[in-house]
Amino acid sequence: MKLEKLSVKEFLSRARSGDIDVEDFTEHVLDNTKSIQKKYSPFITIVDKIQHPKKKGKLFGLPISVKDNICTKGIQTTAGSRVLEGYIPPFSATSVENAIEEGSVIIGKTAMDEFGFGTFSVNCAYGVPKNPLDSERSCGGSSGGASCITSDADFPHVALAESTGGSISCPAAFTGTVGLTPTYGLVSRWGLVDYANSLDKIGCIGKEVYDVALSLSIIAGNDPKDSTSLNVPKQDYTKFLKKDIRGMKIGVPKEYFGYVDDKIVKVVWDAIKKLEDLGATYKEVSLPHTKYALPSYYIIAVSEASTNLAKYAGMRYGLQQELKGNFDEYFSSVRSNGFGEEAKRRIILGTFARMAGYRDAYYLKALKVRTKMIDDFKKAFKQFDVLAAPTMPVVAPRFDEIEKLSPIENYMMDILTVAPNLAGIPMVSVPAGKVNGLPVGLHLMGDHLQEGRILQVASAFEKAG
Amino acid sequence: MKAIMGLECHVNLLSKSKLFCSSPTDYENYEPNEATCVTCLGYPGSKPVLNKKIVESALMVAKALNCEISPVMFFSRKSYFYPDMPKDFQITQYEIPIAKNGHLVINGKKIRIRRIQIEEDPGKLIHVGGGITNAQYVLIDYNRAGMPLIEVVTEPDFENVQEVREFLSKLQSILEHLEVYDPGKEASLRIDSNISLEGGERVEVKNITGFADVEKALSYEIVRQQNLVRMGMKIERETRHFDEATKTTAMVRKKETEEDYGYIFEPDLPQFTLPEKLIKSIDKQMPELPDARVKRFTKEYVIPENQSQIIVYTEKALADFFEACVKLFNKPGYISRWIVTDLLKVLNWNDITIKKSKVTPKLFTEFLKTMDKGEITERLGKELIKELVPAGKSVKELVKAKGISAKIDLESVVKQVIKENKKAVEDYKLGNEKAVQFLIGQVLRKTKATGDPNKIKELIKKLV
Repeated sequence: MKLEKLSVKEFLSRARSGDIDVEDFTEHVLDNTKSIQKKYSPFITIVDKIQHPKKKGKLFGLPISVKDNICTKGIQTTAGSRVLEGYIPPFSATSVENAIEEGSVIIGKTAMDEFGFGTFSVNCAYGVPKNPLDSERSCGGSSGGASCITSDADFPHVALAESTGGSISCPAAFTGTVGLTPTYGLVSRWGLVDYANSLDKIGCIGKEVYDVALSLSIIAGNDPKDSTSLNVPKQDYTKFLKKDIRGMKIGVPKEYFGYVDDKIVKVVWDAIKKLEDLGATYKEVSLPHTKYALPSYYIIAVSEASTNLAKYAGMRYGLQQELKGNFDEYFSSVRSNGFGEEAKRRIILGTFARMAGYRDAYYLKALKVRTKMIDDFKKAFKQFDVLAAPTMPVVAPRFDEIEKLSPIENYMMDILTVAPNLAGIPMVSVPAGKVNGLPVGLHLMGDHLQEGRILQVASAFEKAG
Repeated sequence: MKAIMGLECHVNLLSKSKLFCSSPTDYENYEPNEATCVTCLGYPGSKPVLNKKIVESALMVAKALNCEISPVMFFSRKSYFYPDMPKDFQITQYEIPIAKNGHLVINGKKIRIRRIQIEEDPGKLIHVGGGITNAQYVLIDYNRAGMPLIEVVTEPDFENVQEVREFLSKLQSILEHLEVYDPGKEASLRIDSNISLEGGERVEVKNITGFADVEKALSYEIVRQQNLVRMGMKIERETRHFDEATKTTAMVRKKETEEDYGYIFEPDLPQFTLPEKLIKSIDKQMPELPDARVKRFTKEYVIPENQSQIIVYTEKALADFFEACVKLFNKPGYISRWIVTDLLKVLNWNDITIKKSKVTPKLFTEFLKTMDKGEITERLGKELIKELVPAGKSVKELVKAKGISAKIDLESVVKQVIKENKKAVEDYKLGNEKAVQFLIGQVLRKTKATGDPNKIKELIKKLV
């Protein structure tokens, strides 16, 4: 059977009607996945056998990939780290359970920067995913494998991904896909391997706005197993995609254009003008605390990360070594071998930032700045429905360019995505155009729980072509 | 040199499930590491969910210890790398404890409570082939990991071991009256203590489990410090570990290497405000506390205050036992005297608590009634109670086992004694008081000490 290039929407309706033999179809998808893996290595694990759906749910037969930091019962979950090599979780994340319950099938676990520590998916213990648009270039990170497979798959597919500081928006922008990061707490984190718990959000990457809107409708919802899960009713986000955007007020934060490649600035302004053509109005707005977003994000993220990574010691799960020396020596040895360079860097930075004597100046200060950042956004959303900006300051860089970046230059790449991530507001990156043949993302940000609104704008923009 | 001591009391609170997950708390009924789940084992992707029952219990303790209550619930991560911690951090309360600034009065002295915090228990390390410093290997049992604890921290208000004992006894009695604590459970009360001699550096002694060891550990440490001073040596600021086996303390680290716990806010447990309704409902749930009970016992039952105190502070079950006995036999003074003087002695001798002994209020009051009626002497009673406690048999059974009848026909025994001791009877008739004592003795011997001597005397008078 030839795999037809079907949209998710079309596929689901044909699968449900029985027009497509789902079992046969997904077996072919698996073959196709393996050939993509050979070219671009988006996966850490590809399943041996498809678990076919038991009932006809809303995602009946839809192939999904799952970022490797989201636990999947019975399928190796490493969070991209050697230290969890061979770890088979005894339970699935709530988001995965929801997707399976609605009939989707897991094809594999996607590559990522170790524990999410990176912007280009080059801090990978199991192979670096390559951008299908130019295999010399990065897919973005840390959900690089997710954007890679979404971009290259010629079969209907949605990727479950995760963002802490921009790990969904960035790879979506670099690969010309749609990346949706929901409000913090909208999707349960039960089963998500922690990077920075107060920032981590499970979201999705798809080829079209409809794909992420539909997926969010399935994975969102209150979960008593996650105390930070919001108590909001489930809803169908695809219903927002039919609405036009006449009268919609768009804010353009001027601080978001400073460090950005001129050509990208132009593409994004063209996109904003297009939104105006569609009936929206726009105005510039200032988010004055933006410049503090990057340091405060990194301090909070590494502080939390350094505590989260303490438990990986080669004793309870994951990597094990021959027992030698006393337990301190053994744990140190496993951690030395199991963690990559960036993980070690963040453990050291994070431990420093929360130590007595530095804690007030770094960790506690960063938390205060975070509150200011939220105030900035809250003020802006009194005036505007949506904020629009470039997703990334550059297009997908070449691997040899990435190698030359210092850690600070590397962290600077997150300058546009960390503020909305710190504030926990929803954001979607949609393809806005190209620079030198490489995709540019338009970043649409909304107030807490206004996923509907940003998806509405994204969809209108997508339809306008 | 005066000693100054402060306590950190870790109390295991009663609950069906652990503090942040639904794993069972009766872990002693499970194989090692079986009373666990992905959350208390800290598996990647697991998250904590706070047990509301524990919050309510902690609030009750806070009220009983006269604390200010924080309406804001807030947790922090305390990082330290040790294999008994599944996550290598402990979820505890650092910035905002659930309660602070309380006090407990012992013998008229106010012991200030600095704070009460809710936290999770680590697992248990079993050192095989040695102690903490020289074991050949270590086994880990995570069944205890995630058990709900409160830590009650006092100010350094204790001046001697006696005060510490009285404080702990009262604290334990309060916890029992609140029904939030089971003193019978393994390691349900663990103490860390700060001890310094006036003007000296502070030494922390960790890992003291149970009442008896607290006194031993503190006494040992005070003497150790006093000896150092006597020898002209300096007491250094350090942390010491109490070794249960040898009942001594050993240095684990000096001040310079004291741990930095790198506290951060616990990001998996969002801050929330306790509903006012809940805090108010706690007031209504508060039971009668030990101090009030002592007052009531003294007044209502007209018994000496020191007896009320002993009965109430020893164990809640003993106070309950006393009241149950009074219901069955309305002579509270008689009951309390026998509890305080004899029952407790026998319980201690057998090293059991009233709860674990086989004495029921019914058995005990029947025993007292038998004595009260004069059917057995108090002297015999003091013997019989030694058997009553471990055997849990009725007084009738015990008397029978001793080969004596509880209902002895005293009259016929007295008649027999008169017949057999004609000389003494003659002496008695001549007014010799010693002779009557001899005759009473003879009757008692025959009845194996059952029967009231006064009654016997009357019988002799009547029958001679």
